[in-house]
Amino acid sequence: MRIRPWQRAKQDLSEELNSHLRMAIAGRIANGENPTQARAAALRELGNVPLIKDVTREQLGWVWLENMLYDLRHALQQLRRSPAFTATALLTLALGIGANLGVFQLLYAIVLADLPVPQPTEVVRVHAARSPFDQSWTISSPAYERLRAATPDTPLMATAYANDATFQLPNHSPVQVACEPVSDNYFSGLGVVPAAGRLFVQADGRIGQDEWPAVLRYEFARNTFGSAAHAVGQHILRNKKEFLVVGVAHRRFLGDVTGRAPDIWFPLALQTTGAFAIPWDSLGPGHDVSLDKPWYNQPTIFWLFLTARIAPERRAAVLAHWDQVFRTDRELMTEATADQATKTQLLSVKTTFAPLSENGMRKRFMSPLTLLMALSASIFLVGCLNLASLQLARLDARSHELGIRMALGASRYRLIRQIFLEDGLVVAIGSICAYACGRVASGILIRWVSNRNAVFTLDLHPNLPLAALGVGLMLVSLISFSIIPALLFIRSSVAQTAGSSARIAGSDKTARQRLRSNVLLSTQVGLSLLLSTMSACFSATLVHWETVDVGMDREHVLTVRPDFHQPKYTDYPELLPALYSQIQERLQALPGVRSAAVEMCGGIHCGWITALYVQGSSNLTDGQVHGQEDHVGLGFFSTLGIPFLRGRDFSSSDTKGGQPVAIVNRAYARQLFGDADPIGHLVGYGPAPADHKFMIIGEVADARVNGAQREEPPVVYMNINQNPAPVNSIRVRAVGDPRALSESVRRALSDIDPTLTVDEILPLSAELNGDLGTETLLARLAGIYAGLTLLLVSIGFYGVMSSRTRRRKREFGIRLALGATRGHVQALILSQTGLILLAGVLPGAVISILALRTASHLLYGSVNANALAIIVASVVLALAGTVATLIPARRAAYADPLETLRDE
Amino acid sequence: MLVLRALSLEANHGYGIAQIIRSRSGEAFAVETGSLYPALHRLERQKWVKSEWKLTESKQRAKYYQLTASGRKQLVTDHERWLELVRAIGAVMGAEVEA
Repeated sequence: MRIRPWQRAKQDLSEELNSHLRMAIAGRIANGENPTQARAAALRELGNVPLIKDVTREQLGWVWLENMLYDLRHALQQLRRSPAFTATALLTLALGIGANLGVFQLLYAIVLADLPVPQPTEVVRVHAARSPFDQSWTISSPAYERLRAATPDTPLMATAYANDATFQLPNHSPVQVACEPVSDNYFSGLGVVPAAGRLFVQADGRIGQDEWPAVLRYEFARNTFGSAAHAVGQHILRNKKEFLVVGVAHRRFLGDVTGRAPDIWFPLALQTTGAFAIPWDSLGPGHDVSLDKPWYNQPTIFWLFLTARIAPERRAAVLAHWDQVFRTDRELMTEATADQATKTQLLSVKTTFAPLSENGMRKRFMSPLTLLMALSASIFLVGCLNLASLQLARLDARSHELGIRMALGASRYRLIRQIFLEDGLVVAIGSICAYACGRVASGILIRWVSNRNAVFTLDLHPNLPLAALGVGLMLVSLISFSIIPALLFIRSSVAQTAGSSARIAGSDKTARQRLRSNVLLSTQVGLSLLLSTMSACFSATLVHWETVDVGMDREHVLTVRPDFHQPKYTDYPELLPALYSQIQERLQALPGVRSAAVEMCGGIHCGWITALYVQGSSNLTDGQVHGQEDHVGLGFFSTLGIPFLRGRDFSSSDTKGGQPVAIVNRAYARQLFGDADPIGHLVGYGPAPADHKFMIIGEVADARVNGAQREEPPVVYMNINQNPAPVNSIRVRAVGDPRALSESVRRALSDIDPTLTVDEILPLSAELNGDLGTETLLARLAGIYAGLTLLLVSIGFYGVMSSRTRRRKREFGIRLALGATRGHVQALILSQTGLILLAGVLPGAVISILALRTASHLLYGSVNANALAIIVASVVLALAGTVATLIPARRAAYADPLETLRDE
Repeated sequence: MLVLRALSLEANHGYGIAQIIRSRSGEAFAVETGSLYPALHRLERQKWVKSEWKLTESKQRAKYYQLTASGRKQLVTDHERWLELVRAIGAVMGAEVEA
């Protein structure tokens, strides 16, 4: 065992004093004294040995450390001696601080964090013009090149959005990855440095390479190839096209869109290969658009988002210059509308900048996360209050011991230090647990908050604000849980309570103590009421959105996502209708299947924006003609459970050469025709001279195809057999639970075509509920918080009431002896609980109403309806408080009065 | 200062130092152990003395203290200050006071 320096010093000193003593005795013996006397005299001369040791050791400066270690050991002993208290305190701190850290990490990553690049505020989005139909800030590739060339000293980066794609990786099963095509100056413009290899250079943007360069995200590279360095030089495959991993981006760089972290970045030029599905917008059908040809030289395909790095003082000049250069494109983009007023308005739009922080994620999560932060703070507060009252009770119980120790000469300073050390230890251990808790919590929260379709990838590295928050909460908990109770306790004077007089301490003091614990308890009740109310309202909101009528049979439909984007399908579209009908027949023959149909859309949130002009009515505004479009196969409406209002469904007689037909929903019909019958009208994609070839043959009811929380959009459905194209989903309506069909559907599809891959099979309800990230997060977290505070409040009531009934045992004994019934005694104790509850519930209700008002945009239903939740929560709280009080109350009431009095 | 002076001739242990001071002062100063050891350890921390374990003449282990260079310098300064003080007090007191 290693001897610590202070231990060595201690041994040395003992030995030194011993040798002194021996020499002194030897000296006296030499002078002729007898050994016994010599020893006694020498000892007398030496004096108080431990005192000498103490004083001498103080010269060495180790004493404080030694004392500290002693105190630490003492503290650990004390904590071990009261495991219930220690466990409660640790758990409260771990959950209270952990919840705050978890939520804050999310809040920080989504709302507060800057892009991890140098001078992040210089990086801005460039909004040149909204695309005609999707209204997204996208422009064409030629326009981008012109803008970039116009200001060579301002890095202007372009990115496109690409759908997730399946990749073959070496020694790996195929994986679905998120990818993002970017311009060659993307990384250099942002200032991202590689973690390994290199990032894109100008040559990477060249068209027609055999081997395309790719840059990987750090975590993706590590998970797939073991490390960033290993990933460089690896080859990955997509549809037989080979990609070479040239580099891995810096580990903190997760892309420039919060929450959506691409696994792989490619040069924009990759669009020419057609290997990726990239969303686009255009001037609409009838304009010069060839989607099959490369997009880089087509000015009417809008698909590029712009980002620039530009110092604030240069912004105005650059914008003016860009507006000049962009003028021709702006004029071109107005061709999408026939509405003269809209045209003029579009021409007057100016290019603007928007900070990266102005994004949808931030808008969506700002207030839910702030609210959750507030709720987390409340639960932390409840925890602190609970610990404070526990601590006061504990100090009270220890007052006798502390008093004796002081009487024996322990210094007040040392005692206080020991108490603080004990609490400091609890807080420190609690904080470590809290940090672990927070890490786990933020992981779980991200999963809850994510859309089903896009699991957010966020940077959860520990950061300075998080650490500051952690330390801050630690200090607050230390103050409330240790310092304030200790001070209160010391003020009520340790010495006074030391003797046996403690039991009959002044009634004044006990009254003050009682008031203090009452206030603590009712504050907890109030906060608990707030949390319970919020939890009830959020749960009700979640249930509402999970069950609201979406105009489709949400419980019985299965969505299957096949991958038809292979040359064998895309090159021979004329063969597709036969394949679709084969699939439909095969699936409908499966037991448990009511019907099946193909659909161009891959699910909800999909229908693309279109414009329909009616033959014979020339004065329709943009607001009237714009709607969503989808191409569907036979039996689509009966499969999804969308009822027909008028006319007929598509039939096998609607073929490619015949009369093109369309079905509109109620919302579109109302926009175009008012309340008139739409059947038989001819519509087309453009105004007057354009061809109006589609005949409306049916009108169906509205459905919330953009998600349960969105309004029913106007939709026009075209017959996919008249314009054959690869579909993105097959819908199957089941008799019972659609999940049960997954395997048989998968097998049936592979029987028809073994090469057809199925990306995903999931029920429509899961698809719809996938949007409810915010609601799920709020409901679940608030529910957990409410449960926790309820538990804490119950523990609080139990603790306070049992210590009180113990103190009043004698009084109850006398009361019972004098003829009070057990009911009386119980009522006496319960009435105290009742008063505390009342004192907590009233202010709690007021805070809850205020909170409901501020959070009303996150809740479904009126404030008044939600206020009902307050009453329910109050009842639950009252029940919990009463039950927690009943246990000590019964104990007091059923105690034998004679026993009690004899004990005295 | 007394301790440093006692060590100026040779290294010695705590008991020896106490004996030297006592005998030189003609039994006037009996150095208390309770003051001697804290003083020794303080001097050691100030690096004016250093210590090592040695065997005494009677073959016993004892901790010997020895003056360091800075300790010797300190002794010279202290000694000068002391002489000055004695001179100053002597000048004030002058001849014998008449009773």
